[in-house]
Amino acid sequence: MGYFSEIFQVGKSILVGMGITLRYLRKPSTIVTIQYPREREQLPPRHRGLHFLETEKCIMCFICAKACPVDCIWIEGSRDGAVEGSHVGDKAWITKFTIDYGLCIYCNLCCEPCPKDCIHMGQEFDFAGYTRLSMEKNLLTGKPYTEEDEAQVVRSRSAIVTLEAETKAKKAAEAAAKKAAAAAAPKPAAPPAAKPAAPSGEKKPEKPA
Amino acid sequence: MSEPPAQVDIVTSLTGAFPALEALPTAIVYPALMLVGAVIATLFVSLFGLFAIWLERKVMAHIQCRLGPMEVGRHGWLQTLADGLKLLAKEDLIPKDADKALFILAPIISFTGAFMLYVVIPFGRDVIAADLNVGLLYLAAVGSVEVVGIIMSGWSSNSKWSLFGSMRAAAQVVSYELPLGLSLLPVILLAGSLSTRDICEAQAGWFWNWFLFANPFMPILVVIYVISSIAEVKRAPFDLPEAESELVSGFHTEYSGMRFSIFFLAEYAALFGVSAIASLAFLGGYHTGIPAIDGIGGFLGGLVGVATMIVKSLCFVFLQMWLRFTLPRIRLDQMFHVCYKVLLPFAFVALVGVAVWQSVLPDRSLWFLPR
Repeated sequence: MGYFSEIFQVGKSILVGMGITLRYLRKPSTIVTIQYPREREQLPPRHRGLHFLETEKCIMCFICAKACPVDCIWIEGSRDGAVEGSHVGDKAWITKFTIDYGLCIYCNLCCEPCPKDCIHMGQEFDFAGYTRLSMEKNLLTGKPYTEEDEAQVVRSRSAIVTLEAETKAKKAAEAAAKKAAAAAAPKPAAPPAAKPAAPSGEKKPEKPA
Repeated sequence: MSEPPAQVDIVTSLTGAFPALEALPTAIVYPALMLVGAVIATLFVSLFGLFAIWLERKVMAHIQCRLGPMEVGRHGWLQTLADGLKLLAKEDLIPKDADKALFILAPIISFTGAFMLYVVIPFGRDVIAADLNVGLLYLAAVGSVEVVGIIMSGWSSNSKWSLFGSMRAAAQVVSYELPLGLSLLPVILLAGSLSTRDICEAQAGWFWNWFLFANPFMPILVVIYVISSIAEVKRAPFDLPEAESELVSGFHTEYSGMRFSIFFLAEYAALFGVSAIASLAFLGGYHTGIPAIDGIGGFLGGLVGVATMIVKSLCFVFLQMWLRFTLPRIRLDQMFHVCYKVLLPFAFVALVGVAVWQSVLPDRSLWFLPR
């Protein structure tokens, strides 16, 4: 290229480039950034964000906890009646339902086997904290798990034990009464079902593996 | 050339405005009024710096499909203030092996060089700190003081990157002094004076009296001036001395906090300075280009003049920002090629052309209209 044609080409390409940048400068519609904390991107519906729980549908079957490959789901509660600080589920009174996001791998394997379809992957994705405890989310309240929550769970544990003992005694008494009635009027009757064993019984042999 | 100009500076214009000052002894009034002028100029430079940094970030962001600062104030207009306060609150670091005296002096000299440009920039017929009769020569001289500070900063930092940056800065600024000076020489031919105020006065009247339209060579000279002034203030695409990606940030790598912000302010002071020179040399300075508006006298007229000057300069500032975010940084050899093989010959040809034009067709504007 000759000297002058090169200068002409350079000048022309600079003008073309400036035209392009001016076009972008003048068009607000080309802006691709969002003001993050205030504006959120619309995530796809199947996005695997932080979980949320439809507590009133939960039967506390522990299937999600059992399915979890990293054991980050913690569930406590009673099936025998309300205790202090429990949240009402479907014939279950749940005192603790947390997911430790320090462990969670967002694999969705807890949501798939849920028989009541009550645990879901949500749209939230920003979860940060200063302590290990704050990495745990309390799905019953939808807030980070706190020391107070933990203290409440510990307090309700003894209540659950006494409640379960009472219920067992009551059931035993009922069964005895029924047996006595059956002895009085002989009739083939099915023996009353024992208290349904929590699936944690099944879980135990798996754990050491 | 209209009436023979009286020597005007901030002292005569302020004593004209406040006759009570004349009663006081000159030995007190003169330094005091000079100090007032310096404070006003410092305030102006600082406020312009605040505004220009915000504007630059906004222009950059919008060209790059972003929004830029949005949090502090409406559309982030206070962002620069917040950043400035943050920089002021930072620890004052001086590297262990640095040459302390030079290290401390460097940003001050750099800023002084940029700040001294404002002495002869006329913001209005009577709004000028000092109307030197060698104004344009003075501008060319103090314009290169800044590079002394930059060489000092690079040397005293005792860092490879800083030294590379300042050597590049020295080579670049010294080289681009030539096309810069040559592109301003024809202005002196046209105005017949070196005084910045006389240059503006020579462009009075309708806007076709502006030197930009004086003859077919002037538009070329404006382009040469703009290119070499960008190189002079070391901004993209001539930001080799800073070269973010290769030299970290060049001569101010080791600077932080307050000293860094002084360098930053010096850059923006020089940016406005060269833009103001462009507007006074080619676009009529404080003249709006419409005689009826320029005829307004008194305080209002002065205000119009100041506003006109600032608006024209801001157009050049915007042009420099626009170019910065359009073009990538050029190589060192390309930078010298542009300076010595393109700008310099063109400037010489244009200078000779203007001289010939002045002797053959003097007193013509827009190439044919009588002045």
